[in-house]
Amino acid sequence: MKALRVALIVVYSLVGMLPFAWLVLTAFKHHPDTISSSAKFVPWTGAEVGGPGLAFSPTVEGFAQLADVHEGMEFSFLDHLVNSALIGVLSTLASVALGTSCAYGFSRFRIGGSKDWLFFILSTRFMPPLSVVAPVLIMYRALDLPNTHVGLVVLYTAFNLSLAVWLMKGFIDDIPRAYEESALVDGYSHLSAFFRVVLPHARTGMAVTAVFCLISAWNEFGFAMTLNNARAVTVPVYFAGLQGNTSGVPWPQIAAGALLFVLPIVVFTFLVRDHLLRGVTFGTIKQ
Amino acid sequence: MTKEGSFLKFGFVGPTLLFLVALNLFPLCYNVVLGFTDAALSQDDYRFVGAKNYGVIFEAVTNPKFGDALRTTGFFVMVAVTVELLLGFCLALALRSKFPGKTWLLTALLVPMMLSPAVMGLFWNLILSAHNGILNQALGSVGLPEPHWLTDPKVKLVAVLLVDIWMWTPYMLLVALAGLNAIPSYIYEAAEVDRASTWTVFRRITLPLCAPLLFLAVLFRTTDALKQFDLVMALTGPNDASTQTLSALLYQITFANQKVGLGSAYACVVLVVVMALASVFTRYLDWLAKKQGRLAYGSA
Repeated sequence: MKALRVALIVVYSLVGMLPFAWLVLTAFKHHPDTISSSAKFVPWTGAEVGGPGLAFSPTVEGFAQLADVHEGMEFSFLDHLVNSALIGVLSTLASVALGTSCAYGFSRFRIGGSKDWLFFILSTRFMPPLSVVAPVLIMYRALDLPNTHVGLVVLYTAFNLSLAVWLMKGFIDDIPRAYEESALVDGYSHLSAFFRVVLPHARTGMAVTAVFCLISAWNEFGFAMTLNNARAVTVPVYFAGLQGNTSGVPWPQIAAGALLFVLPIVVFTFLVRDHLLRGVTFGTIKQ
Repeated sequence: MTKEGSFLKFGFVGPTLLFLVALNLFPLCYNVVLGFTDAALSQDDYRFVGAKNYGVIFEAVTNPKFGDALRTTGFFVMVAVTVELLLGFCLALALRSKFPGKTWLLTALLVPMMLSPAVMGLFWNLILSAHNGILNQALGSVGLPEPHWLTDPKVKLVAVLLVDIWMWTPYMLLVALAGLNAIPSYIYEAAEVDRASTWTVFRRITLPLCAPLLFLAVLFRTTDALKQFDLVMALTGPNDASTQTLSALLYQITFANQKVGLGSAYACVVLVVVMALASVFTRYLDWLAKKQGRLAYGSA
């Protein structure tokens, strides 16, 4: 029984992590080595490019090409990475700010139909982006918002609010009411009690919520692709456009870009490892 | 509640609710309106055409695409969620006991679900490549057949499923592990005193006590898998007969064919299905919260 367990863990770990390992290796290859018919696993400086065998000579060419602008495109990978970062960070700040205050309201005040409101907020997350994108696009056209950073920031903020409200509500529910009550007795107004007593205690929660909002904005594809075609395009959409590249898919470059793009997420995943369960279940399961 | 109190209340929750109404509820209603028009991407104004769009959708004979997309999505959701659940639960059982470095290994295993499906999906094209991909090289080296994952209509959907399972099995693992960890050890000790067999312990204790959380995970994954779009776009494109999910069909009609009116009508049908599921989901959550104090909602 124990041997079976260990075997399952080992096999799954290898298979599960292989794609990521392959991504790292591919990022340091020359193009011919990425599509060779014998998989090249071993980085060795003496290896011949495109030659036989399991070795490849490592290079950072893929990374260097990230600043290049592809034919028929206006911007390079790095420009799109800046877009992703800008849109991700701004929408995260907005979602966490709005989500925290909303969660506090639902946590501390008697609000008529609060349960229904909370479930309405949660259910906005279930909508497939593609099923509301047409009206959003028409709305945005009237407001001149397609192809702008602001447009995506606003949309991602709305999209992430369900997550932010539910996660923050879980964290704020954990802060004892007695803290604010004693502050109110000391003569604080309700608002300053919120800012000076509740927020400092909610810091961990806000950081965790920010990480999850950032990741979901960073990874979003449906809205980004349909509301944009050039200026505010984020990395996932830019990558999708590279697939039909006439001179063959530039794998080393894609792998290098993908590595730079997913590395921050991997780091963040490890940083919030104790809160992953909460984050991916909208705070409905705490542990 | 004083007047200042109700003003404060609205100040805290109002902005968020207004925001969601403007960017979720309004588009949703607008969608319903658009579904009765001949709106197109290329023109600004539109005319009402009555229920014509819905006629097109339900004429299964002249329009098998909707039926196909429905079947593809249904099959995709069922297989993906089932495999992820079984594999994730088995892994959770295997990873249950403590060992050094467990937190790190577990976190590393969970990474795929945090990554961008669009970007990783694109990279999977290289892994799944028929002649040069490492998957087929591995299969070939042990004498197994090497399917043309991304070009053979018979296995394309399997390829999408494979990547989805790679991404989302960790999710089931995480939730299942939480369910297992929440079972108090005294129950197992009591079972040991009673000399219950391993199978009985699993069937009578482990499974029933884990089931509520597993069902929650299944609901989460089902609503998520129903939206499947990113991986399909990355692996086979939106207009591929064997992998066209509902989202991909919506994209194809609204953007490639530019028929916003028809697309909106489709979207409304899809939304009815999704919202029905969502209400099952929220009801279940509510029921679970009442049953178990452990859930966040329980304190509300």
